[in-house]
Amino acid sequence: MAMNPMEQFAIKPLISEPVLHIAGHPIYFTNQALLMIIVAIASSLFLTLAVKPGRLVPTRGQSMAELSYEFVANMIHSATGEDGLKFFPFVFTLFIFVLCSNFFGMVPGSFTVTSQIAVTLALACLVVGLVIVVGFMKHGIGFLKLFVPHAPWYLLILLIPIEVISFLTRPISLSVRLFANMLAGHTMLAVFAGFVVSLGAAGGIYMGVALAPLLLIVAIMLLELLVAFLQAYVFAILTCIYLNEALHLHDHH
Amino acid sequence: MTAPDPDRLNDLGKRLDELQTRQAASVKRAPPSQSGIAFRFTTELVAALVVGGGLGWGIDWLFGHFGFHTRPVFLVLFFVVGIAAGIRNVMRAATEINAEIAAKSASKPEEK
Repeated sequence: MAMNPMEQFAIKPLISEPVLHIAGHPIYFTNQALLMIIVAIASSLFLTLAVKPGRLVPTRGQSMAELSYEFVANMIHSATGEDGLKFFPFVFTLFIFVLCSNFFGMVPGSFTVTSQIAVTLALACLVVGLVIVVGFMKHGIGFLKLFVPHAPWYLLILLIPIEVISFLTRPISLSVRLFANMLAGHTMLAVFAGFVVSLGAAGGIYMGVALAPLLLIVAIMLLELLVAFLQAYVFAILTCIYLNEALHLHDHH
Repeated sequence: MTAPDPDRLNDLGKRLDELQTRQAASVKRAPPSQSGIAFRFTTELVAALVVGGGLGWGIDWLFGHFGFHTRPVFLVLFFVVGIAAGIRNVMRAATEINAEIAAKSASKPEEK
């Protein structure tokens, strides 16, 4: 039996009837939507329930919630300074959503929301959209100075388009990084799992050989847990860096 | 349950703070792995090419819509600008990674 390692990324409607129609397009309730709802509900429930007792000496759950709060708060503070803390709810939600999506995707048989470019691109566009809005609100038209490097005017004709394109690549590089890492990791897991199944089915001495990819899967699984966290962290820290640029123009030079 | 002893709590708090600053210095911003750096550079470069090319293609399409046949001109132009933007991105990423590695090797708690 041949297994397709990409099959796990297929989006399937869970209810055969479209839930609603938007401008003539049928909208289905898919496994993707289900997982996103689970992630959102589970993370908000966990975080609110964990800090509910408000104990001085925290329980394990409360400690996890408080540590994640401090982690993100420190990250924003070091990347954007004092006035970036306004955006704590946004960055924290983003971080927790990506982190929980990655971790829920690690559960065998579930679905990885962040392995869909549609999701990561939407999140990245949200970030860059916010950066643009914040930049214009804070600096007005002066925000456009972000695209004007220090150079003589005849070079600016060339440099401004370069800077604009460089800015426009942000949503793409931000989303592709998260999406590709999750896609690659889960594909690798599925490929090695396929080895185990086909070697095991071959029988005889191959059953023993099947142990090698099985052990490898365990190792890759651990690595993937690290990647799941790291990518959520990278997504959040880049959000902070971009917000910092919108808040303090050209300070990074 | 008895009320917690304030001295012990303060002591615990101090020890926790110490541990956290020590850990923050070592854990924060581990320099990215070789493959991470390679992946970062690739995405930065390719993303700029895609955006540049896409933008040029879009402008051509728009002009074509209004009856000006500029078809390959803006595509080529913006593709070249996209290459330049990609190289700019990679250089910026390299500067950031260098700064991270420098901060790591100096290994002092980061204060910005």
